[in-house]
This record gives sequence, structure tokens and C-alpha cells, in this order.
Amino acid sequence: MAGEQVEKRGVKYKSSIKDPGTPGFLRINEVMLLFVPNDPKSDSKLKLQTKNIKSHKYTKEGSNKPPWLYLTTYQGRNHIIEFENYSDMHTCRDFVAALLKSDEEPKKAAVTTSTEQLSIKELELRFKLLKENSELQRLHKQFVESKVLTEDEFWATRKKLLGKDSIRKSKQQLGLKSMMVSGIKPSTDGRTNRVTFNLTPEIIFQIFAEKPAVRQAFINYVPSKMTEKDFWTKYFRAEYLYSTKNTAVAAAEAAEDEELAVFLKPDEILARETRQKIRRVDPTLDMEADEGDDYSHLMDHGIQRDGTMDVVEPQNDQFKRSLLQDLNRHAAVVLEGRSIDVDSEDTRIVAEALTRVKQVSKADGETTKDANQERLERMSRVAGMEDLQAPQNFPLAPLSIKDPRDYFESQQGNVVNVPRGAKGLKRNVHEAYGLLKDSIVEIRATGLSDPLIKPEVSFEVFSSLTRTISTAKNIIGKNPRESFLDRLPKSTKDEVLHHWTSIQELLRHFWSSYPITTPYLHTKVGKLKDAMSNTYSKLDAMKESVQSDLRHQISLLVRPMQQALDAAFQHYEADLQRRTAKSSDGERPNGYV
Amino acid sequence: MIFKIEDVTVYFPYDNIYPEQYEYMVELKRTLDAKGHCLLEMPTGTGKTIALLSLITSYRLSRPDSPIKLVYCTRTVHEMEKTLAELKVLHDYQVLHLGTQAKILAIGLSSRKNLCVNTKVLAAENRDSVDAACRKRTASWVRALSTEKPNIELCDYFENYEKAAENALLPPGVYTLEDLRAFGKNRGWCPYFLARHMVQFANVIVYSYQYLLDPKVAGIISKELQKESVVVFDEAHNIDNVCIEALSVSVRRVTLEGANRNLNKINHEIDRFKANDAGRLLAEYNRLVEGLALRGDLSGGDQWLANPALPHDILKEAVPGNIRRAEHFVHVLRRLLQYLGVRLDTENVEKESPVSFVSSLNSQAGIEQKTLKFCYDRLQSLMLTLEITDTDEFLPIQTVCDFATLVGTYARGFSIIIEPYDERMPHIPDPILQLSCHDASLAIKPVFDRFQSVVITSGTLSPIDLYPRLLSFTPVVSRSFKMSMTRDCICPMVLTRGSDQLPVSTKFDMRSDPGVVRNYGKLLVEMVSIVPDGVVCFFVSYSYMDGIIATWNETGILKEIMQQKLVFIETQDVVETTLALDNYRRACDCGRGAVFFSVARGKVAEGIDFDRHYGRLVVMYGVPFQYTLSKILLARLEYLRDTFQIKEGDFLTFDALRQAAQCVGRVIRSKADYGMMIFADKRYSRHDKRSKLPGWILSHLRDAHLNLSTDMAIHIAREFLRKMAQPYDKTGTMGRKTLLTQEDLEKMAETAVQDMAY
Repeated sequence: MAGEQVEKRGVKYKSSIKDPGTPGFLRINEVMLLFVPNDPKSDSKLKLQTKNIKSHKYTKEGSNKPPWLYLTTYQGRNHIIEFENYSDMHTCRDFVAALLKSDEEPKKAAVTTSTEQLSIKELELRFKLLKENSELQRLHKQFVESKVLTEDEFWATRKKLLGKDSIRKSKQQLGLKSMMVSGIKPSTDGRTNRVTFNLTPEIIFQIFAEKPAVRQAFINYVPSKMTEKDFWTKYFRAEYLYSTKNTAVAAAEAAEDEELAVFLKPDEILARETRQKIRRVDPTLDMEADEGDDYSHLMDHGIQRDGTMDVVEPQNDQFKRSLLQDLNRHAAVVLEGRSIDVDSEDTRIVAEALTRVKQVSKADGETTKDANQERLERMSRVAGMEDLQAPQNFPLAPLSIKDPRDYFESQQGNVVNVPRGAKGLKRNVHEAYGLLKDSIVEIRATGLSDPLIKPEVSFEVFSSLTRTISTAKNIIGKNPRESFLDRLPKSTKDEVLHHWTSIQELLRHFWSSYPITTPYLHTKVGKLKDAMSNTYSKLDAMKESVQSDLRHQISLLVRPMQQALDAAFQHYEADLQRRTAKSSDGERPNGYV
Repeated sequence: MIFKIEDVTVYFPYDNIYPEQYEYMVELKRTLDAKGHCLLEMPTGTGKTIALLSLITSYRLSRPDSPIKLVYCTRTVHEMEKTLAELKVLHDYQVLHLGTQAKILAIGLSSRKNLCVNTKVLAAENRDSVDAACRKRTASWVRALSTEKPNIELCDYFENYEKAAENALLPPGVYTLEDLRAFGKNRGWCPYFLARHMVQFANVIVYSYQYLLDPKVAGIISKELQKESVVVFDEAHNIDNVCIEALSVSVRRVTLEGANRNLNKINHEIDRFKANDAGRLLAEYNRLVEGLALRGDLSGGDQWLANPALPHDILKEAVPGNIRRAEHFVHVLRRLLQYLGVRLDTENVEKESPVSFVSSLNSQAGIEQKTLKFCYDRLQSLMLTLEITDTDEFLPIQTVCDFATLVGTYARGFSIIIEPYDERMPHIPDPILQLSCHDASLAIKPVFDRFQSVVITSGTLSPIDLYPRLLSFTPVVSRSFKMSMTRDCICPMVLTRGSDQLPVSTKFDMRSDPGVVRNYGKLLVEMVSIVPDGVVCFFVSYSYMDGIIATWNETGILKEIMQQKLVFIETQDVVETTLALDNYRRACDCGRGAVFFSVARGKVAEGIDFDRHYGRLVVMYGVPFQYTLSKILLARLEYLRDTFQIKEGDFLTFDALRQAAQCVGRVIRSKADYGMMIFADKRYSRHDKRSKLPGWILSHLRDAHLNLSTDMAIHIAREFLRKMAQPYDKTGTMGRKTLLTQEDLEKMAETAVQDMAY
């Protein structure tokens, strides 16, 4: 469906049934419904995101009405589009119907939405996050569905999860382990000569990546010629033969068994890849090119045995593979990383995907002139001496460091994201500056008269926490790993934990709403306060309901939560009083509208 | 910046200059004025290359009436590319300030394998088959034949180049190999032959040492260079080895077998020609009677490698009568092969002088010295007559003829050593007959004689007085420059003990001690966990590296290392090593760093820079002594003692330490760079060894760092890295100027004038 669109000329757009209609041009694609009037001066231009379309109706053929298409949005608005004929209308109708169908699933996930600017992608991401994190889901259910928080508010504090980085991060592939494939050691049962290898998909992937010949053999042989188990048995047999370093035996076995020979022979696919890669290598490293100039070592010329170059046993034996080669190959594969996005248990699928990726990269290698150009540019850049000249601007790769703005955004998220109330309230820079200045002056004059938490309260919280910890330790002194929570019945424990997270969520929203600058925040705080007192009573109820032997412990656990809530209530009351006092003075607080 | 050194206006493409670069230019200028040779040692990381290029090109600009040509020799192709890249920067700068009159033509020259653009030719596996594939399409007789038989495949690029004839010229500019290929492809001209043709017009030529030192190649490529050239050998600390290798050749059993097959084929060809085209052989005979070894001027496609002997040693005489006829020559070669075969059948090591070898050859096989001397020329003439194009197949017989020519030409400075097997692997019979050159001055002599100025320069030429003796020349300037340090950006350490206080060394009796291997491993495990970015390790030999890595793998040390950094290793396969290096760099670029295991005296140690984050620490495991029981080495040492009065021990230590210095010097490229160097062997703490290190390392080697154990070294490393990570003042502190601006230089020039006035 991607990229499809329908275009119709000669349609009329009506905002209501009585509207005579503006003639124009209609285009619908998967994200947008666009109506452009023929008369450029007309203001009845319509832009409608298709995901906001709630439903559609249309006039039936044969009825005496003209071919109309009614579209209802989630915002409750109606749009009517009149077509020239029925067939045009039907094509558009079918398209819209298909769109609505495909949109249904993310819609459900999002439950309610006031978000005009959310794309399907974001919704999908939210849905995914909720699915992955059951705790989040529970919170979402509790607060959003009970309308304590709106969808936007809920997510505003979790910008980080939604941020672009997180999308990328969630897609980041796990690299390969630095362990060598040859390091896979079998386990033995100690009695017989049988050995057992445990192959995980990860190991298999690594083997396939490092040894294309094995991968190819797997595609060729399994399952047509042998089972997967036989295949790996043969593979490890071959590995064993390597490790014995007995090339004569290896040669003999390879001669008898052609499938085994595949594993023992030098890897041809690898050799081909190598030849490919060597052409793209940095010319300042290309030692192969030196060979081309070295006429002194033309066959048997130059000095052979003066002891400068030492001799290693002849390497031409085809059944010999050196550890050094393995190490280089391994490091190259790890560096390349996991190139495929297949998360499958099926070995064959993995093998095929890898082969495909290799072919693609090979094709790339042949066509990339850019890479060549970049290589040369880099070389000339390196040729210069860095400290003799003014510093150059090297291309920088951004470090993945936690963005400090995340913190502020989450705090001020609600203010920034105020969807409707604040819309008419676009302050310009000067106004904002003025407000800021005023509040600074005020603080200077009066001082911070209203500390967020009173010292007594914080002291109490602190001391009680210390006590809780120490008593909990005393009780369970014998087993430090077992915490008090583990002794609670599971349901109670879950309840306690859930209350804790929900209180945290509520408090976070609560405190970040201050200072209250808009009526929107005002109502929000009210709602939050209700929800908090609700939770407060629930905590009380829980305290009552547990068995007596645990009650003390529970109350200790619950106390800090309640204290935190108490602090919030106090603040709320104090603020409310101040505001009523102020508004009775006829004076509006900063930015209050 | 633009400044004056005496009467020369120097164009230097950067805003600042190091004081030592300035001094270096001053000395270089004096050499050029004196039209003599010089020897300049300047530490790595002080911008030798750009100082050199900028002075010589500026010198050329200031003397428009007698333009000098710069022949810049590098050891490797990638150094060639780097030099050309620097020259590009310089050239752009000079053109910017002087306009078109500063335009020069600079080319890099390499073999067909690196320059060819014909995909079919390039498909050949190695250099020799590329050469042969090219010759098959470009030899004059092939092209002549193709007019009759259209199905013979020629090379379009070569044909177009030939068609363009004199018009095939490169416009001025700086051309790297890649640029040459691109230009060739674009114009449809063969870049290889174009570049070779342009050698005589170019102002700057950058190519490999061997194109000047190895008579086989120099004979074709560098024949026509004018005397008014400045020849520069960069990174020349190993130049003596290049020289002796250029004149050494050996014969193995496979060589003899191959040569016999070649002779069979030649015989077959002779028979074929006798039947079809007897006139051709007769013409050759007549030409040889007249005293011409080769028929006049050879077209590019026909040229093969030139005579292995040095130009002034080649006789300009008629080829002796007994090998003028093709069959007779083949018979002589057969007898020679037979004799060599008999000699190879020895059970003992034999050492002989060329004179006695030639006389016994004469008495036993009846081949005279003069005949031997002409072997190479006679073979080449025969192959041209027989129109043989697949030269790569005829390498064995060529090797034998090269051997014969050299042994017949030189009576001193060489020895013949026959070994039945390699000393280190007595169980594998591999007889070899080696003609090895001991006198490095032989190969380089023609260069000193031919060119007005020869500059030998490197980061490590200590002791600097040894080189004039080894190469027997008298430099007008011989200087070693100190490095002015902005901060202590290098940190050499001598590690003598492991954490358990047991001594570490690669001395023969200790190297396989498990304690030493473990301590070496632990050192690296600790270091990779604290050093950011790249770590490079050098071992004394491949076999030692192989062994130690295998042990580390078994004992789990390798696994611990791999938990911190990826491991890449130099192997004897260049392609694999190149890829490993490329991956290593990419791993370092990623940020986590990697470890590279390499070998002293190996290809990587010779030419790859591990500058900046590509190398923050280099560990030199052991002292890279040569294998002292090698017969060739012993013969060379004996020759050095007798001829130059250089003591064996001194030479061995000198050689080992220059290799070690070379290895550790790879980590520094500029003063903004920093790196640590660990010499992990107890022998480095001894004064006689240590003092042979170049001065710029010694000056940073504190007494407290001379006898460290692993844990102390780690402590020092931590401190050093923390210190280096701080920002610093680039222009130098405490009154020491380490970075000069144009004003500084002008001031310096003024004071110099004043000094002279007083």
C-alpha cells in the first residue's frame, strides 16, 4: 500500500450538506487526504491526516443523491466530498476503506488520542513499548484509561523512550562475541569417548559468518543430503582433524569423504571475497602493491638465507590452516558486526540470509565510486601535518551520551505539550523574557519562601528510611540476600510494588506541574490530587488487610510513600490557598491566564 | 608561509614550521649548492618529507636557468602515495602564490601490475604474469603479426598510446598511481608506458628504490635521467640491505628443473624456426658477430629486465664466438645447469669465492669466465629472436643466466655459499646455491657517480658515521637533528621483569621459557585494558610470534586480550596482512581500538605508520637480532671486518637496534601525536645495547624507566596517558619555541645577518 495514492479532478468539497461546495482537486495517499480548490483564493483547502478519519459513509448509486463521500474525523468534524460520478467515488471510497482497516490496529493500542500530530509510526512505537513493558502497561491502563492523565502527559515524561535515538537503539544489533569459534569446547560425559557440542544460534551464526564455505555447504547439503545433526558432526570432525595438526590423516579422510573434504579445503568463497576487498583497501596500506615493484626478489633473486627473514614450515599444504589466519578472520567478522536482521532459530534461514547479504555487499563494492573518492580525500587529509596548520573540521560521529535536555523536557513536557488551551497563547520572546525577569525579581525580594519539602518532613523521611533498612536487616540478618519483600505473599508484594511505581508516576507529574501557569495545569493537578488521595486510601486499606505479623513491616514500607504523598498534599493545599488569596486581590500570578 | 633561506625563497604549505624542519632545509640547501651528497638524520614525526619536497621544489624555482630534477625514492608503494599526496598539497600552495610558472609535472612510477588498466591483463595473478600478459599484447612482433591475423588480441590502451606517439603527454600536475590510471582510462592511453615515457620530462619522479638501485630495473627505467638531478632516498636506514639484495641471486633445485624445461622449450622453438624461418636465426648470428648484443632500439613492449650487472661493469664487446649460435648457447647452458646440479648435491656447507668457483666451473664444465659474463645478454637476444612473450614462464632460466653473469663479472665483494638445508630446519633438505653480495657500495656507486646530489635521510641513521663507510661515499653534509619537543610526547620504557620479578628476554636460552611467555602475555593483557585506541606489538621473528600466540591461545591469555580489543596479525601472506591492517585501522576508528601483532624486519615494520590513534603503545618484544648462525650473515660480517674494520658485534647490535628503533618509531608522526614505547627485554637495560638507539628516543628515556617490572610500567603508562590527554600549548612553553611562524623566521634571519656583521 505504501506509496499508493488516488487523485481525482473535478470534485467538490462541502463543509456541511448545505454548503454549495468548492470545486477542486483531491488526492488521497496513505498519510494524507488533500483537497486543493481550483480557485487559489478560496480558503476551503483541506488537509486531513488519514489516521484521523474515524469512519466514512457514502451515497448509494441509484438513490437520487449525487455521489457523495462523508468522512467523519475523530475530532468529530464532518467532511463531504462530491464526485463527478459514482465510479470516481467508489475508487476513493475503497481506498479510504482500506486505509481505515490498516489503521485499526495501532488505533486500538493508542486507546484514546487527542494527538493530531502523531504519526502511525509513533503510535506503533508506543504500542510496542507498552507490550514489552508490563509495568508500563499497567500504569498506562491505570492512569490513562481512568483519565487521570492524558495520553500525551503520560508519554511526555517518557520522551527518552520515544526519542529517535531510542528507535535506533532498539534496532541496534548485538555484536558478536569476541570468543573464537575454535574456542568451542565440547563437554564429555567422562566415561566414554563421546563428546557433545552445544551449538547455540549465536555460535552457528558466527561459524557461518567466519566460514562462508561451511555456510554454502549447509545450504547445499541440508536437508537434502544429510540432517543438520550429521552436518555439524562432520564439521566438528573436521575441526578436530585441524586441531590434531596431522595433515596426513586429514588428507586421507578428506579423500574418502567428499563432504568432509569441504570443511578441510581452503575456503574458496573467502579467497574470492579477499580479492574483492583488496581492491578497496587504503592505498597507504596496500602492501600488495609493493610486491609489484619488488624486482629484487624476482624468483630466487635477492638474499634468501641470511637470517633476516626466518623460515616457517612450508604453508602450501592445503590441509593446513594457521591460527593466525583464524584470528584475523575472526576479528574481521566481529568488526563487521551482525549484518543480518534475521532472528531465527532456523539455521537454514540464517545461512541464506547471510549469503544474500554478502552478494549485496559484493555488488556494492563494484559500483561504489564514492567510496573510492572518499578514500582519496581521506588520504590527502591525512597527508597534511595537523599541528602546523589551523585545525581542520573533521567529520564527527556523535557520541551517544545522554542528552541533558531530556531531563528538562520531561519536567516541562506538560507545559510544552499543552495541546489546546495554550494554543492561543503564543508568547513572543520579549514577553517570555519579561515574565522571567519578573519572577527573578520576585524571588530576589522575597527569597525562596516556599521550599519544596519542609526540613522536618525530609528529616523524618530520612530517619524512617534508615530505621526501616536497619530493622529489615535485623530481622533477616541471617540471610542477607533474602529481602523482606520476599517474605510477603506474592499478591501483596506485587501490590506494594505497583503502588510504589504508580505513586512515583503521579508524584512526578504532580511536581513537574508546578508552578501552575495555565488552567490546563490547574485541572491536571486537581485530577492528580484526586488520584493520589485515592491511592493513599488504598494503601491504608492494604495495611489493614495484611496479616498481623507482617503489618508492622508493611506499614514501615508504606510510610515513606504516604509521607511523600502527604508532602504533595500539603504543597497542594498551600498553593491553593495562596492562589485564592492572590486572585481575590485581583492580581494574577505569573503567566496565569 | 613564504620565507628566505639565503638566496632561495622557500614556499612551505603550512602556517607554521618546526625549528628542526628549518634547519634541515638549511643543510639541504647547502648540499644542493655544493652539488654534493648528504646524510641527514631527523626523527620521525618532524615532517621530513614535506621539508625536503618544499626546499627542493623551491630551489628549482629560484634557479630557472638550470632546473634540477628531483628523483625521490621510497621503499614502498604506499610511501610513494603518501609522498605524492604531500607533494600535491605543496604544489597547490606554490601554484596559488606563484601562478602557472610554479607548475611542475610529478609522477609516481610503478610496475605494470599497479598501473595497468586493461582488465584482461589485470586478471593475471601476480606481477610476473601481468608483465607477461602485457607483453603478449604489446610486443612488436605480436603487433606486426596482428595485421595479418585479426584474431590476435592487442591492448587498446597501448595501441592508442602508440597512435598518439609524440603527442601522448601528461599535462603538468601531480599524479599518484590512481591519478595516472584515471588519466589513462580517460584518454584511452596506457598509463604504464605513458608514465615511463614521461620520466624524461617530469620534474619530480617518485618511485621505488629498486628502480634506481637494482640494475635489472634501473637499466630500463632510469637510463635517461640527467646528471642535474637530486636523488633522495627516504627512510634510508636499510639502504645497505637493499643494495646487497639487488646484486644477490640464488639457485635452488626447482630453479634448475625449471631452467631445464625452459631450455627444452627453447630448443623446440629453435627447431621450429630452423624449419620455417632460418633467416632470422642467421640474422641474429650476424648481428652478434658484429658485436651488437641487441638490435638497436627496443620498443617499449619488447623490453624485459635489463642486465643484472651494474652498467659500467658490462663489457661493450662482441659476444664470444662459442655462444653465438643458438644451439651452442643452449648446450653451454645445459652444461652449466648440470654443473650447478652437481654442486647442489653437497652434504656440507661450502663457501667459495667467485674466482675459485669460476675456475672450477671452467675446469669441470669448460665454460670460461667471459662466456659466463655474456649469458644474460645472449639469452635476451635469443628470446627476442625467438619472439617469446610469456616471460614469466622463463624466469628460471633467466635466474640462472643472471647468476652466471654476476659470477662472471664480479671477483670481489661476493661469495658463493652452498647449503644443503636451512640451519634452523635441518630435517628438511632444501639445497641452495647462493651468490651473495656483501658490499653495499657496489650497487649504489653508479648512483653517486651519476647524479649531482644524493640525499640519504631517515629517522634512524645512528650511528651516522657508519653509513658513509658502508656505502663508501663522502658526504658534504652529515648531520643528525634533535627533535624539539613541545611536551614529552613519547614515553620509552625498558621492561626487564614481569610482575613476578622474573627477567624477560628473547635470548635464545630464555625465549621458550613458559615464564617469559606468560609474563609477556600478562604485560599485554594489562596494557590493553588501560591504553585507549591502537596497540602494536613487534616480535623478533615470525616463528617466534607464531609460537607465542599459539601458547597464549592455549593458556587463555589471548582470550583475555580479546575481551578488551580485537586482535589482528601480520602473516606471511601480504594480501591477508593488508586486509588485516585495513581492518585494524577501521577497528581503531570505531573507538575501542585493537591490537596488531607484527614482526620486526617484516613488511609492516618497514613501511606502515601507526600514528595518532592507530598506535598509542608499541611493545617491542625482545631484541631483533639477525640469526647469527646464518652463513651469509657470517660471510658478510667477515667482509665488513676485513674491508671496513667494523666489528661483528658492533654491526649486529647496530642492526638489531636500528630495527627496534624503526619499529617503535612508527607511532609518532607529528608533535601533536603521542605514544608509549616499551622495550620488553632485559638486554635493553645494558648500556652497550641501549646507547645504539637514536638520540631522540634516548633523550626521553629516563633513568627511572630503565629497569621496570610490569606493574611499574603500567603505573607509568596510566600517568603518561592522563598527562597527554590534557590540552597543551602547541607553540612551546618555557621560552623554547617548538613552532615557528613567519615572523619568527624573519627575526631569525635578521639576527643571523647581524651576527655575521659583528
